[in-house]
Amino acid sequence: MSDVLIDLQHISKVFPPDTVALADVSVSFKAGEIHALVGENGAGKSTLMNVLYGLEHRDAGDIVFKGAKVDFRTPREAIAAGIGMVHQEMLLIPEYTVWQNVVLGTEPVGMFGTVDVHRAREGVRRKIEEFQFNLEADALVGDISVAARQKVEILKLLYRNVSVLVLDEPTSVLTPQEIPQLFGELQRLRDKGHTIIFISHRLDEVLSLSDRVTVMRRGKVVSTSASSSLTKQDLARQMVGREVLFTSRRSPQEPGDVVLSAHGLSSSTVEHHSALHDVTVEVHSGEIIGVAGVEGNGQFELVNAIIGLIPLTSGRLTVGGRDITHADILARRSLIAFVPQDRGKMGASGAASILENAIMTHHILDPSFSIAGGLGLSHRRATAFTEQVRKQFAVSMGRVGDSFHSLSGGNQQKVILGRELLLETPFVLMDQPTRGLDVGSIEYVHELLLDLRRRRRAVLLISADLDELFMVADRIMVMWQGRVAADLATDATSREEVGYYMLGGRETAHAETSS
Amino acid sequence: MNLFFGLVSAMLVGATPILLAAIGGTFTYYAGIFNIAMEGMMLVGAFCGVLGSFFLHSWLLGICCAIAGALVMAGIFVLFAVRLHTDEFLTGIALNLFAVGLTTFLLRDIFHVKGAFTDAGIRAIPALRLPLIDSIPILGKLLSGYNLIVYVAILGTGLAAFVIFRTRFGLRLRSAGYNAACLNSSGVPASTIRICSLIICGVYCGLAGAYLSLGSVRLFAENMSAGRGWISLAAVILVSGNPWGIAIISLLFGFFDGLTVFLQGSQIPTQFTAMIPYIATLVSLYFYSIRKVRRS
Repeated sequence: MSDVLIDLQHISKVFPPDTVALADVSVSFKAGEIHALVGENGAGKSTLMNVLYGLEHRDAGDIVFKGAKVDFRTPREAIAAGIGMVHQEMLLIPEYTVWQNVVLGTEPVGMFGTVDVHRAREGVRRKIEEFQFNLEADALVGDISVAARQKVEILKLLYRNVSVLVLDEPTSVLTPQEIPQLFGELQRLRDKGHTIIFISHRLDEVLSLSDRVTVMRRGKVVSTSASSSLTKQDLARQMVGREVLFTSRRSPQEPGDVVLSAHGLSSSTVEHHSALHDVTVEVHSGEIIGVAGVEGNGQFELVNAIIGLIPLTSGRLTVGGRDITHADILARRSLIAFVPQDRGKMGASGAASILENAIMTHHILDPSFSIAGGLGLSHRRATAFTEQVRKQFAVSMGRVGDSFHSLSGGNQQKVILGRELLLETPFVLMDQPTRGLDVGSIEYVHELLLDLRRRRRAVLLISADLDELFMVADRIMVMWQGRVAADLATDATSREEVGYYMLGGRETAHAETSS
Repeated sequence: MNLFFGLVSAMLVGATPILLAAIGGTFTYYAGIFNIAMEGMMLVGAFCGVLGSFFLHSWLLGICCAIAGALVMAGIFVLFAVRLHTDEFLTGIALNLFAVGLTTFLLRDIFHVKGAFTDAGIRAIPALRLPLIDSIPILGKLLSGYNLIVYVAILGTGLAAFVIFRTRFGLRLRSAGYNAACLNSSGVPASTIRICSLIICGVYCGLAGAYLSLGSVRLFAENMSAGRGWISLAAVILVSGNPWGIAIISLLFGFFDGLTVFLQGSQIPTQFTAMIPYIATLVSLYFYSIRKVRRS
């Protein structure tokens, strides 16, 4: 347990021109431990691991592995030395079976250059048994769950006989029920002598799984300590640099009249998108309704149905008493503020200027933007409006004419939020508004959401982050296979109950481990 | 009965170049390259085939030259689309236009003719009489006696199916098309696989070109590939790259191509009969799309 396996010494990395990603970082990982690497987005955890793995080149520092200095130029070299990394975005081929994915790149070869199917399949099966992974070697990867795909990724590395596994936020794609199963597997791997480096920003997980924890903040190591000596509060303080509250910040408030009423919405399946089946939602003024669900269970379709991007086969949709079931998108937009999940594609035009992105929709709905009866655009009004967005939503940006993609992710989202919230619509539709933002920006968005609630707007919030929903939503609606599986009052439910419905009300995770 | 044999023979003659080019195209299709340069590779192959056969007095060297010519085209594609990351579609268009211009220019510059070059000195690729089968009455007439390249095409199709679906190279080839990032992270550079697929495509297209100019005829005419490369592209996309599916589609086009020849003697103007293969392409696209729409 005590001998150091990987020693990272004084690693520095600067992204040109002057972003210091890692500043003199030293961490050592011991053989046979689960070592968590925690920190906010941009703290440098992933960069540090990419440097170790040969994906990024360091500007200074040494890497000592098994007592010798190493310098992996490609992941291939790292894997050959026995270090493997599982990335957040999984790299698998859905059209291939589990065994084909696992052996790709190191296929056993038979006569005439054929893949020795028997040897490959048996080899993969043996590994599955050895690590008790509960996978079917012949299943198509496209057909299996996200949790199972993650296991395939891990198996792919184990098949190459790595002794060190680096996992980049492995739980971010899992439901609450699937997490303990992954942890069980990781602990089994540790007990067999593997070393596991685990990147996360979920503090509960870190404390329950890891032996030691290294906290990073702004490219520096804050501390490394045994997790048994830490509390969640300690970790959060070290991560953020100040006290963080984990309790709900919702003040009690009686909801008002119904603003959004969606009754019995159904749609047909279009190109692999799941259909909606009889979805009914009501959002009152001064209320935030959260929508939870494993991705691809109809949340996206619900958003598109409300905003008018997909046709309904049946159902009725009203906002503030106006029937918009058959209204066009522009008519809906005068009633609905909409923050789409993909801010780069649907939310904004990256190549257009900040100003052009800020005034979208306003320039049509608000006559003060036009001159000569709609023939021209009032540049003065547009500039003033963009300045208003900048001030009111604290956007840090250059000139209003700069391109939108010159902004950071958080500032892009602020421009979109500003544009939408200044529409002053009774109803606000937000699809994953905090996805990909850092902790500071997430806090800001949550403040905005709670402010909307205080100002008695009606909000429908779709989110993959259960913590977020528990923090701001009054009710949590769980979607499963295009239906509303449950509608729960936030204060009367738990993450476990929500997770249970996210999996269709089946104890899948437990069933899988026992079989 | 003779009409039937004639039609079968015409069908195979028409199908062979399309089949060869399409099988070449299916390798690049699986490797995830939008390769439309089969037309140009085939045309340069046809020209180089005549060049080699005429000057080196050997049909075998003619075939070698045809393959070499098509490989040069494939090499240009590799340089631009794979190495320099230019747009594959534009690269393909440029290569196809370049091929027409180049072969027309060289035809005038080397052979001093306009339109077409034919000469008794061009050695044609011989027909092959299959031993044993040739002596069986009807079967022999049906299966034996075609041009060597026809049999090469059939073997080439089986070989392609084997390589793509059974071998290690095939597994990696398809990975390059499905998810190149996954293949790269598995330690196999996708660009290497793509370069291999283009080289294979060049070989097949070179054979297709050789068949055009040294197979059924012994001549090179300006733009003699006449859209066959495009039809082969349609065949690849139509069946999503499946080699046996490509064979069936190619036979279908070959049949209509053969029909064209048969109808030339009839009352119908040749301009109309010449349209048949292309109309067949549109019609099959129509039915294919209808089926696809219904299925989803």
